[in-house]
Amino acid sequence: MQKEEIVNRLTPVFRKVFSDNSLVVTDELSALDVENWDSLSHMLLISEVETEFAIKFKLKDLNKMANVGDMIEIIRSKFQ
Amino acid sequence: MSEYLIRKAKPSDIPFLADVVIASEKAMSDRLSFTTLFNKPEEEVKQLIIQMFEEEVDGCELSLSSFIVTEFEGQPISGSGAWIEGFNGNMPSGILKSNLISYTFGKESIEYLKTKSHIVKDVMIDREPMTLQLEYFHIKNEHLGKGLDDLLMKRIEENALAEYPELKKVQCQIFKNSVFSIKILLRHGFRIVGSYKSDNDDIFDYLPFNVKLLMEKEF
Repeated sequence: MQKEEIVNRLTPVFRKVFSDNSLVVTDELSALDVENWDSLSHMLLISEVETEFAIKFKLKDLNKMANVGDMIEIIRSKFQ
Repeated sequence: MSEYLIRKAKPSDIPFLADVVIASEKAMSDRLSFTTLFNKPEEEVKQLIIQMFEEEVDGCELSLSSFIVTEFEGQPISGSGAWIEGFNGNMPSGILKSNLISYTFGKESIEYLKTKSHIVKDVMIDREPMTLQLEYFHIKNEHLGKGLDDLLMKRIEENALAEYPELKKVQCQIFKNSVFSIKILLRHGFRIVGSYKSDNDDIFDYLPFNVKLLMEKEF
């Protein structure tokens, strides 16, 4: 799966979870940048992303996701 | 006091630490957020907490490495969790804990949480990076009033300062109804620096109380 497709599918997920229709998904985006990205919304985000891509993250994958770029790479690896 | 042995937690303590987490989370109530927010029975929650400890993820309140245990006659009688937030490049503890829950509890529980998260969001408090965070402090009833809390607080602070001498303060998030724990913290030099209240009365069905306090002590 190409990065562009992943970003295009992640964008509505992020906008829905964080209730922000102007949110732009970039590699550098992290919990530090989004006001509503707390421990509760993080769980909802992971669940929504897993549903969107029909995947299940491993715990070690989750703990490597320091930003969205890391998440994209892990999603890509699931489809290789 | 010499009959008490205070030591770092080890894997064989994990079932006891699960009991510590459950007792501390209830905070003088019968509401356990792991059951009420994730729609799981307490027996299953205990097993899931054990699983989360067994993952040995460092840097949050469900990390084995965060805990010290007191032994009395060879049995664990207290457990206390504390970690330095974001130390050694760790992610925020809230994210680490969320990852553990997401991975362990399963999609159905997270779907259930989606319908309840709005009820508890007002009492969620961010943790300050590079501060010592105290979470889960439980002593079995028969060992209360023997000065063990003094020894534990001292040991927790000593351990943290040995690891990071530049440490400036220790913080604790605590529900306002935990009056005995608040008294202990005040006695140890903590002060209340923040109060977070939910006006949603449904919160009493999910959490021990509708007000959470942020307490801290500077070194």
